[in-house]
Formats: sequence, C-alpha cells, structure tokens
Amino acid sequence: MLSVNRIALAIILIFLLLIPHIASSYIVYVVILALLFSMLTASYDLLTGYAGPLSFCHAAFYGFGAYTSALLTLKTGLSFWLALPISGITVFLFGALVGYPALKLRGHYFAVTTFFFGHFIYLVFLNARDLTRGPLGLGGIKPPDSIFGIDFSGMTANYYLILIFGILMVGFLYALVNSGFGRLIVSIRENEDLAEAVGVNTAFVKVMAFSISAGLAGITGSLFAHFFRLLHPSTFSWMTSEMIVVMALVGGIGTLVGPIIGAGVVTFILEMMRFAPELRFIIWAILLVAILVIEPRGLAGIYARIRGGR
Amino acid sequence: MEIFLLQVGNGLIIGSVYALVALGLNIIWSITDIPDFAQGSYYVIAAYAAYFVVTLVGAPFLVALLVGMCVGAVMSFSCERFLYRRWRERTFRGAARVQLLCAIALFFLFANVANALWTSKAKIFPAYMKGSLLGFSYMRINVLLAAIILFVLVYLFIMKTKMGKAIRAASMDLGMAQVLGINIDTVNSIVFIIGGALSGAAAVLISPLYSVFPTMGDLPLLKALVVVILGGFGSVAGILICGVGLGVLEALGAIYVSSAYQHGYSFIILLLTLLLRPKGLFGRV
Repeated sequence: MLSVNRIALAIILIFLLLIPHIASSYIVYVVILALLFSMLTASYDLLTGYAGPLSFCHAAFYGFGAYTSALLTLKTGLSFWLALPISGITVFLFGALVGYPALKLRGHYFAVTTFFFGHFIYLVFLNARDLTRGPLGLGGIKPPDSIFGIDFSGMTANYYLILIFGILMVGFLYALVNSGFGRLIVSIRENEDLAEAVGVNTAFVKVMAFSISAGLAGITGSLFAHFFRLLHPSTFSWMTSEMIVVMALVGGIGTLVGPIIGAGVVTFILEMMRFAPELRFIIWAILLVAILVIEPRGLAGIYARIRGGR
Repeated sequence: MEIFLLQVGNGLIIGSVYALVALGLNIIWSITDIPDFAQGSYYVIAAYAAYFVVTLVGAPFLVALLVGMCVGAVMSFSCERFLYRRWRERTFRGAARVQLLCAIALFFLFANVANALWTSKAKIFPAYMKGSLLGFSYMRINVLLAAIILFVLVYLFIMKTKMGKAIRAASMDLGMAQVLGINIDTVNSIVFIIGGALSGAAAVLISPLYSVFPTMGDLPLLKALVVVILGGFGSVAGILICGVGLGVLEALGAIYVSSAYQHGYSFIILLLTLLLRPKGLFGRV
C-alpha cells in the first residue's frame, strides 16, 4: 500500500512541477493560492491535529508574518531573503509569548480565546495606520530579490519559489511529527493528564507546537506578501482563520496529508464558484454541512472508508 | 459628566443585547457543550423577519418582536434537531469539533443567505415610538426593560418549573440525568428554542436603534461568547452583570481611551479574567 502512496505522491509532484508550462496564468495563480493555504493548514495541523487544542487565530500569525516581512523590506530596505527568516522567527517568538498564557486554558475556552486574539490582531492591522496604512492597504512591496540570476518579478519564478518552500515545510513537519518530539506532541492530544504524570513537560511541548505552527504561518505570510505585493487587513480577518480551520477539518486533521488536500480542494471549489459571487459561500456552507453529515472525519475519513471497503 | 452618563446609558443598552444573546448561548453551551456560533445568524434572520413584518404588513412592534423570537426559535430548534443531534453521542474522536464546525458552517450559511437575498445595504428599521426620558429615547429604555423582563422569565423558568429543574440537572451531569429518566431530546430541544428566541429578541430590540444588515450578528455574537466565558457558565444573574458590565466598559473605553479598539477591549478583559480566575467571574468551581 505504501508504494501506491509513493507513486501517487510522485505523480502529484511531477504534475505540480509541470503546471506553469501546461496551464494558463490564471490556473497558476489559483495553484499558488492553494499552495499557500496548504502551507497554512499543514502548519495549523501541527497544533490542532497533533497537539490537540483547537485554535482560531492562524490567520493572525499569517498576517503578522506578512506585515513584518513587508515592513522590513519597505522601511529598512532589507533583502527578502533575510526578511523571510526574520519574520518567521519574530512570529515564532510572538507565538510563544501568546501561547504561554493562552495554553493554560483548555477545550473551548482556549478556542474562543484564540478567536478573540485573532480579531484583536486584525484590529491592530486595521488601526495602526502609521505602520500598516490600515484599510488603505500596504502597497509597493517588492518581489523577492533575484538570486542565482533568477528574476522573481514573474509568476512562474514565484510559483516555483512557493512550491519549494511548501515542499520544505511539509518535509519539516513530516520529520517533526515522526520524531521523538512529535510523539510527545501526540501524547498531549491522547491524554494530557497522563502525559504530564509520566513526566512530559506538557506546557513546554504545547507552547513549542503552538509557536512552531505560528512561525511557519509567519513564513507563509512573508511569501504571500512578496508574491501578492499588496496587503490588506481583511485578508487576515477571522474569516480567513475560520477558512483555515474548515479546510483542515474537511481534509481530516492529524494526518498532515488531509489538511493539504483539504486546502487544495476548498481553494478550487471556491474559485470555481467565482461565477456566482453571492452564492459562493452559500453553496460552500451547504457542501460543508453535507460533508459533515456524510463523513464527519472529512476527506481522510472517506478515503479510509474506501480503502477499508476494498 | 453628561457625556459620561450618556455613554453609561448606551453601554447598558448594548450590554443588555450582549447579555440576551449570551444567556441563550450559555444555556446551550452548558448542556450540549456546543459554542453555538449559528446563534449569530439567527439574530440576523430574525431582525430581517421583524423588519419585513413591520414595513410590508405594518404590524405593531410587539408583533414584530414575537415574530423575530419565533423565527429565531424555529431555526435554532431545527438546526439542533436535524444536525447537532446526529453527533450528540460523540461516538468517535473529534465529534465535539464536528459540532463546532457545523455551527460555524451554519453561521456562514445564514449570514450569506441574508446577504444574497437582501443585499449588504443596511435597511432602516422604522421607529415605533417617539419621545424620550432624561435624554434617552423610549426605544432605548425599552431595550433595557425588555431584557430585564426576559431575564426574569428565563430565571423563573429555570428555577421554578419542572422542566427547568431537568435542564439544571442535565447541565450538572448529563449521564446521571438520563439515568434518572430525564428525556435529553426534550431538554435539548427546549434549550435551543430558548436560545434562538433570546437571540431573535435581542436582534429585534436593537434593530430600530441601529439598522438591519447581513453582518449585524458578528459583533453581538463575539461579545456574547466573551460574556459566557466571563460569567463562567454561572448563574443567570452573572450573565446579566457580565453582559451589561462589558457593554458599559466598552462604551466608556470608546470615549476615554480609543474608539478604534472598542471591539478589542473585550479580548483584553477576557484574557485578564482567564489568567486570574480561569473558571470565570461567577463560575462554579
């Protein structure tokens, strides 16, 4: 069975590598969006799927990374290649700062607190006009500086850049969840009290999972900022956070692959419904309820069911 | 000083709207463990229903209020009966998340239905009463009065009736309540009907003061969730105090600190409270 998965993975990778050469620029643009959302949901999965706590503020970290990177390059003239790791580390530290008090809470308390935290950060983006230019949007962001003679002003180069970062991030997350530390993370999800009783420093592990997931979202934000070159607070509102949660849950959390597929599927469904902007979210919400009624574990559950039946 | 009193009054009024939504959420949450985000969209649909009853049929405000409450109650009841109930037994891992996700999906759904049917343009709800007392129009005072009446009614229902006793028992220990012969299906239906009716009432009461638009439910929902956690699933009175207190704090913060962050204060209050008193201000420990 493993070989089937590997073949599927290879086919998908080859397909992704070929896309800019076979598809229109619109399709490439949609695939870039899907890749960015895949990175968000994959990093989100580390916290919610593997460690357990349901978080509603992933878009806040995404936006924090995007604004940090954009402002660093705009105000200090820093190179993108330095701004990207710096924004990742900044968001990682910020995540630790927020996660430490917030993760003392459990269950729905944590969920609702992160929900508000996300909204609060959105308000900061909206109102700190001196820095973010608020509702006017932050424009004039430069594309990534050319490196090794590659010019990043075009769509194709950006596509490969984001694809490479996506593969690196997923590879990192895969290695992380399969490492010893990954098992500590899972032990919290399975039984937090028991994990603590057998000597796992649950507070530290949870905060680390939270901050790593935040930091990766920050890196994704940086990539988004220099690809899209215009930042608006509404991109990082609670709607986006909820979208990430929904994508991850539709795919099936705690599997790493599920949320990535979920992000891809949901992005394409929403793009396909561009013809009816008013009905877009209605159809989408009905689909979501339908998926929940048919298979509450998401696409990963449907896949497991098909394989089990065979 | 005058502006201070005015803002306190405004805070009391908006706070009582938060408290009404929060009361419904609190009862639902404490029995079913669902933070029912969908209440925010029943709020919107109820406001539109009342608006159309008043403008198209010319019904008096009290009828519109009842229509709004019924619309909220019916929607809330149906969503529980046909959706949430499927996952109540929580037979698989993540069932709690499925219910939460379903609530969010319904919130998306109805808010966007309102947007598609009636556009995002705000509709002006006609005034139903003229005159004012001490600088506050009667319509504003009515919000507060109606909220108090509804709170007393819910309090009496929960404390004095047999069904209320069953609800209290179910919120303490669901399994034990079932063993003692309490019909959980009925209890669930009743709490969702109460929740929906309260959301609807809150929406219709506040509509004549502001206006009716598809995203009108977002902020009351957010604030009501804060109030529920601040109140710590405590008493009916605790919800009222927290709701009204939050409204007043926000209104005062808006003029004395910064109006830009008016909707962020609740987050700071929430975080502080949870760090100092993790079970909420009025929580059962």
